[in-house]
Amino acid sequence: MTTLARSAVSRGITPGRVGLVAMLIAAYGLVPFVGSDYVLDALLTPFLALALAALGLNLLTGYAGLVSLGSSAFLAVGAYAAFNCNVRLQELPLLASIVAAGLVAAAVGIVFGLPSLRLRGFYLAVSTLAAQFFVQWALTKFGWFSNNNPSGVIDAPALTLSGLTFSSAVGRYVVSLTVVVVATLLAARLLRSQVGRNFIALRDHEIAAKVIGVPLLRTKLLAFGVSSFLIGIAGVLWAFAYLRTVEPAGFNLDRSFEILFIIIIGGPASIRGAFLGAAFMVVLPLLLSRLGAALLGDVFDSGVLEMSQRIVIGALIAGILIAEPRGLISLVDRLADRIRHRLSRPLRNPTQP
Amino acid sequence: MRVMATAGNEALIATRARATEAARQAGGAPAAADSARVADTGVPVLALQGISLSFGGVTALERIDLSVAKGEIRAIIGPNGAGKSSLLNVVSGLYRPDQGMVRLGSERFTHVPAVRLAALGVARTFQNLALFKGLRVLDNVVMGLVARRRSGFVRQILSTPLARREEIEACAAAEEAIAFLHLDAVKHQLAGGLPYGIQKRVELARALVARPQLLLLDEPFAGVTVGEKQELATHVRNARDAYGTTIVLIEHDIGIVMGLSDRVAVLDYGRKIADGVPAEVRSDQAVIDAYLGVAHEGETELVI
Repeated sequence: MTTLARSAVSRGITPGRVGLVAMLIAAYGLVPFVGSDYVLDALLTPFLALALAALGLNLLTGYAGLVSLGSSAFLAVGAYAAFNCNVRLQELPLLASIVAAGLVAAAVGIVFGLPSLRLRGFYLAVSTLAAQFFVQWALTKFGWFSNNNPSGVIDAPALTLSGLTFSSAVGRYVVSLTVVVVATLLAARLLRSQVGRNFIALRDHEIAAKVIGVPLLRTKLLAFGVSSFLIGIAGVLWAFAYLRTVEPAGFNLDRSFEILFIIIIGGPASIRGAFLGAAFMVVLPLLLSRLGAALLGDVFDSGVLEMSQRIVIGALIAGILIAEPRGLISLVDRLADRIRHRLSRPLRNPTQP
Repeated sequence: MRVMATAGNEALIATRARATEAARQAGGAPAAADSARVADTGVPVLALQGISLSFGGVTALERIDLSVAKGEIRAIIGPNGAGKSSLLNVVSGLYRPDQGMVRLGSERFTHVPAVRLAALGVARTFQNLALFKGLRVLDNVVMGLVARRRSGFVRQILSTPLARREEIEACAAAEEAIAFLHLDAVKHQLAGGLPYGIQKRVELARALVARPQLLLLDEPFAGVTVGEKQELATHVRNARDAYGTTIVLIEHDIGIVMGLSDRVAVLDYGRKIADGVPAEVRSDQAVIDAYLGVAHEGETELVI
């Protein structure tokens, strides 16, 4: 009865939902057993952290239209806040540290979001650079943040949840996956609510939004807060689950740009776009190095790899901004539509759900 | 086609008309529908007193007085640059007048607070569409009710009963407004991809969904085809008849305004040069001069 109703009502949604559930099943049931430590450690865990950071920035930039170049600062705030929670409040469970880190990042994000009440577009982007430089400076300057490590380096504690330790590659992957899934579901829910509409209204026509009664100040600061919250949590994953030893210099402007490029490439104002873009960003260097090694042999060392990576990403961003402003995800969608179209014509009989 | 379009609303309008009729009889007032509406001398929905506005040395508005009675369709016309849009922006709080007072219902303002506009029961549309292009038509119309929301973002994430009820009510109201303006066919499409005339209607729906006391329309007929103009005019009149909304509209196409409005005010160079029922205004020498360019050299626009 319910399945009947569902298949009838949501014909259009079903493929997406089925795909999502299938991916989750694979991510939990297959990947931890099949994936090698290398794949989990060097690909999937950073992918998850970057995807969450990109999702956070997408909320702010893609949905609410407020461009930020300070994402890396909020990653750092999240990482260092979780580290300090862990060091100074020993009895605080890991989950609470993660949430607290997100809240600290949100608070910092709201402070640095204050200029958005007056600035817009390019000028706002430049003002968010303040966050970038200030946070990096503060973390290096004040030893308290890194528990008096001379160079500001922090070592992540082992990931333990209610007595269970998740320090293996698989464990860290599963923790990251779970945090990212929960955070993404909450973000998706927020975007479907009135708040999500307010974000887009703000982006598309600020004056109309104001006249219609959207509380501009509150909505903008909320966008900064929620965005930084998610990026802060991504920072915890980046530091605790992926790198495990981080220094302030690791959270530099390059990282902020990387996250911004993820949403431009993947697709602004799209949750799936953030994931696709992050996957692309993680896989690209690998593809390039394999390709380069195969084509050029020894000439293609790590220096050349880095340069070629920048060139490819730069060219890609220029190309995407011109040809497909809605990012790779809209290409994927169109392709999927075409395939579905072709499949659904001969397979119209109801045996196929 | 147009007859079909209006037929859908007749039931609603008829019910409204009966209700007003009953109310009028209960109050002992004579039931002469149209003249009563125009001559309604109760508290005006909108009153402007001595509004002046200038940008630098350029005077946009000069001591404008205007009174808009409840339930009337009031047009403000004038050649380009006469100050019509400035006037609307003063009423909606986007501009602060140098002098004068705006009265909305029982409240008086020297500067109308734009953020409270919706709460004051005022909605407006914009001269060059101001839709949220990245939202579906339905979501655009739901946005029109944003000022009524009481649940904050935490409640919305947790989907508490209050948040759920608000969402359901907003969607129901939006569906009604969408049906009222015959937008059902496009309600799941992104607003940005629709033809101009349809977008104008979506903007009207977004403004109407909150059942405003006062609706300000900034050149609702600009840039649409002749057929769409007639259709939009019908929708505007239906909106007044069905919801009892008082409507102030700006236009420089005299033809469409004359048939639609109860009263017409004419602006020229920031001053009000005429105010009255369409027939009076049409034969007013100052108006004819303003439009035909007799009084001012170089103003050769002729829009009839």
